[in-house]
Amino acid sequence: MTPDQLAYQGLVGLSLAMYLWLLSAGLTIIFGVLGVLNFAHGSLFMLGGYLAYTAYGLWGWPFWAAVALSLAGVGLVGLVMERGFLKRLYGVEEAYQLLLTFGFILILDDAVKIVWGGVFKIPPIPRFLDGAWPLFGRPFPVYNTFIIAVGVAVAAGLWLLFEKTWWGRMVRATASDREMAGAIGVRVPRVFAGVFVLGSMLAALGGALGTPVRVVAPGIGAAMIIQAFIITVIGGLGNLRGAFVGSLIVGVLSAYGTALFPVFELFLIYVIMAVVLLVRPQGLFGGHA
Amino acid sequence: MSATRLEAWLCGAAALALVLLPLVAGRYPIYLAMQILILAVFALGFNLLFGYTGLLSFGQAGFFAVGAYVCALILLRVPSLLLGLVGGVAAAGVTALVLGALSVRHTRIYFSMLTLAFGMMLYSIALRWRDVTGGDDGLVGIPRAPLGPPGIPGPSLATIERYYYVVLVVALVAVVVMRRLVRSPLGLTLQGIRDSESRVAFTGVPVRVYRLAAFTIAGVYAGLAGALLPALENTVTPPIAHWSTSADPVLATLLGGIRAFWGPVLGAFLFFVIKDIIVRYTEYWLIWLGAIVVVLVLGFRGGVGAMLGTLLGRLTQPASGRAEGPR
Amino acid sequence: MRTSSRLVRLSLAALLVAGLVWAAPASAQCQLGVPGIKIGVQGVSSGSHADYGRQIMMGATMAIEEVNAKGGILGCKLEMKFMDDENKPAVGVKNARYLVTEWGAHFMYGTDSSGVAMALGPVLQELKRIHFFTHAATHRLTEELVAQKGIQEIVRVSVPVYQDAVTAALIFKDRPEIKRWATIGADYEYGYVTWNLFKETLKKYRPDAEFVAAAWAPFLTLDFSPHISAVMAQKPDAILATPWSGEAVMLLRQALIQGVFDQVQVWWQAMGGSVDVLEGIASEVQRDRFKGKLWATARGLHNWPDTPENKAFVERFQQRWGRLPNYSAETTYSAILITKAAVEKAQSLETKQVIEALRGMKIMTPAGERVFRNEDHQFVYTVPAGRVVWDAKYPIPVLGDLKVFQAKDYYRHPPFAPVAATK
Repeated sequence: MTPDQLAYQGLVGLSLAMYLWLLSAGLTIIFGVLGVLNFAHGSLFMLGGYLAYTAYGLWGWPFWAAVALSLAGVGLVGLVMERGFLKRLYGVEEAYQLLLTFGFILILDDAVKIVWGGVFKIPPIPRFLDGAWPLFGRPFPVYNTFIIAVGVAVAAGLWLLFEKTWWGRMVRATASDREMAGAIGVRVPRVFAGVFVLGSMLAALGGALGTPVRVVAPGIGAAMIIQAFIITVIGGLGNLRGAFVGSLIVGVLSAYGTALFPVFELFLIYVIMAVVLLVRPQGLFGGHA
Repeated sequence: MSATRLEAWLCGAAALALVLLPLVAGRYPIYLAMQILILAVFALGFNLLFGYTGLLSFGQAGFFAVGAYVCALILLRVPSLLLGLVGGVAAAGVTALVLGALSVRHTRIYFSMLTLAFGMMLYSIALRWRDVTGGDDGLVGIPRAPLGPPGIPGPSLATIERYYYVVLVVALVAVVVMRRLVRSPLGLTLQGIRDSESRVAFTGVPVRVYRLAAFTIAGVYAGLAGALLPALENTVTPPIAHWSTSADPVLATLLGGIRAFWGPVLGAFLFFVIKDIIVRYTEYWLIWLGAIVVVLVLGFRGGVGAMLGTLLGRLTQPASGRAEGPR
Repeated sequence: MRTSSRLVRLSLAALLVAGLVWAAPASAQCQLGVPGIKIGVQGVSSGSHADYGRQIMMGATMAIEEVNAKGGILGCKLEMKFMDDENKPAVGVKNARYLVTEWGAHFMYGTDSSGVAMALGPVLQELKRIHFFTHAATHRLTEELVAQKGIQEIVRVSVPVYQDAVTAALIFKDRPEIKRWATIGADYEYGYVTWNLFKETLKKYRPDAEFVAAAWAPFLTLDFSPHISAVMAQKPDAILATPWSGEAVMLLRQALIQGVFDQVQVWWQAMGGSVDVLEGIASEVQRDRFKGKLWATARGLHNWPDTPENKAFVERFQQRWGRLPNYSAETTYSAILITKAAVEKAQSLETKQVIEALRGMKIMTPAGERVFRNEDHQFVYTVPAGRVVWDAKYPIPVLGDLKVFQAKDYYRHPPFAPVAATK
């Protein structure tokens, strides 16, 4: 491949990475603060896609409104998951939390089949996001550019949220020492709920923004969760910057893998995950194991 | 009657029922029973690692698949089920030893993630190494080879009833061996490690070595269960290595009872029976399974086994007086 | 008094007789000595390819309703059970065992996946039941398992990959400006054999053809952008694509926004004539976004042949289900018609006798006349290929500008030289 072609392929990988980033950001924040690894996170992504498809593709709402509905809906589901179920397991072994979230995957996968049927769904592309613009001598889709922009904006927004706002500081305090934070007056259960809802909405955003160019069907959530795990491990469980870099690595690697070394691509990603866990379990950016 | 006596009677009755099954049931229940026995062996090994040693592995399907694929590859070339089983188990055991040595450096969530990664690595090999594993399409047309070692004529296993007895004998042996194991010093040490690692370490026990032993045994059991599969299904495909298959022994053990010896066996039975019943009424069986998982995890972490245990405890109270501890 | 009580008794007797006559079964007794004929059906009915299982089920259901309404087969009513094979070979085999040994199926139908079909073949011999394959397309099912290994219980009613692969070569061999071909392929048996067969056939007519790029997408790929860009980097003249159903819609959508249809001359979408794909790309076709470059075929088209049988079938299907029939609905429907004809000829449900009755069968079906080929148990019939166009007569796009090649002219026939089933 020529340098131009390599650059183009890399950009395609970047847009793939942004969907993964939206999925992993929520996963890693939830782990960092609550200590829960939400197996069902991919299912929230899928649910976000279904809600956006329904509002935009079936009811004819404007795209932005559909995305907003998707965020609200999945945020609500996340709230119920956390306050209704997960909170009962905070004192118990982590293994049971994992099992509980696994149960949620089973429930959500069938639930979407019952509501929307088993067939795939795809709405039309919003007109203003259609088309392509020339990049490296070839047309690069406006939609993929849009996704990259959203991903970067979310990264900036999350940075601002956690570094500069009062709520963000509360969250960071809770993440670093739950008991201490409670002792100085932080309402820990509220922080937990808020973080879980934020994480769920991020997943939903990824799902919703994907619907015009990808189909939404039962099972796509479970298909994505493994990639999200890999990314969070590589970046460091609980580390946002790590999740961003991890997404870039996985997204761009899979794009180059498809073009240059397809047979090994899948294997390579798991090897990287295993190597990171063995050599530096706190991840590339994690501070402590 | 004491609790142990009652347990012995129940086991004897169950074993007898299993032996007599082909005489009273049609081909499909026999087929279902074999699948239950295979899952029971798989889950027994898993529970040694989870219930007794406290390590939750999400990659056991990898060893299951190694056992299945190696056995299948052997059966396609050499008509000897014995060789296939031995080969599958040996390959799975070696794989578990190697990957286990790496995995037991960690515990808790890092251990789980690492086993997930290793399991999926094996899955990606099964999926992509088309020349050996058949890739996405898998290995098909695997014969139900006769039992004897290569070169020596052995009993034919062409009918499903005959193969059933092979699977039954293997499963019973596996259960007996595991029973001995958990009551041995090894088993007790593992439980000690689960309950308080630091205390056990202070007594000079090499914790990591014991964990590795548990991991390898679990892998051997997974491989044994996997090796029984090709002759049953005549097909071996990549999904058996996927993390969603790793969930099967987890769910079975959860259903039956994590801390109880018979939990995995009981759970394997319940898992298939529940699915079979639900599927007759609705195609949406996953949502019911998920709901059961949620209910069990939230309220009944001892699984059905614990519920039965309390019942048995009440039944045998006059003789024993106090319910027994972890068996 | 006596006359009236006699009258009462007579009228009661008359009522009784009338009641017995009215309550008596309207149809004749089942001549085959079974309570009913059991039809086991499998297809993928979950995930992004779920429509095919649905269509298979819809086609089978309609056929069974029609056959039963006319008295069943030799007086015996048909009963159906549908199971989801999840596109996984292990599940397909499990379902087949259940259907035959537990449920008592006399015949089996369906399956979309070539992988499932190849796994089922050997098991059918053990189960001693005929399976009418109505979608799975690998040539190896008939060429290897039937012609070579002699598994008689396999019967294929749908067209094999000869359709996707060979017709493409036959159409585009006459376009001298199209030399450089690339594929975005399904990363399993179906994708490999289609591409290999296409290359082999095209090379015979066009030694100047070049195969410049290949990108393989496993089942359940969510995003084809990297595959599209990898392939387009090699500047192909034409692309042959094998991902199907929901993946085809996604692939075409993503190719559009990468400007592929401004750069290539032709895009050949295997199974692009399938109803779910046409529905998914309807608005793009209406706005001519594919610039007339999108070609497709299927294993049956609802708008060809223009015969009364086909038109009536499509109309009845639309009335019954509110949708146009997909090819897998037509193939399954026809498979049941074939079963009826064979059982009536054999006067038996015995597998061996029904297989014997199939030999040399020629039968009229909605998709045209199907002719049974004894050597490989393939029913041969013609399906054209065409350009995906918008026709105001229909609610979804159709294939127009049809190129018709007689199946018996281009189908491979024994002795079969093997075609690689690898990349």
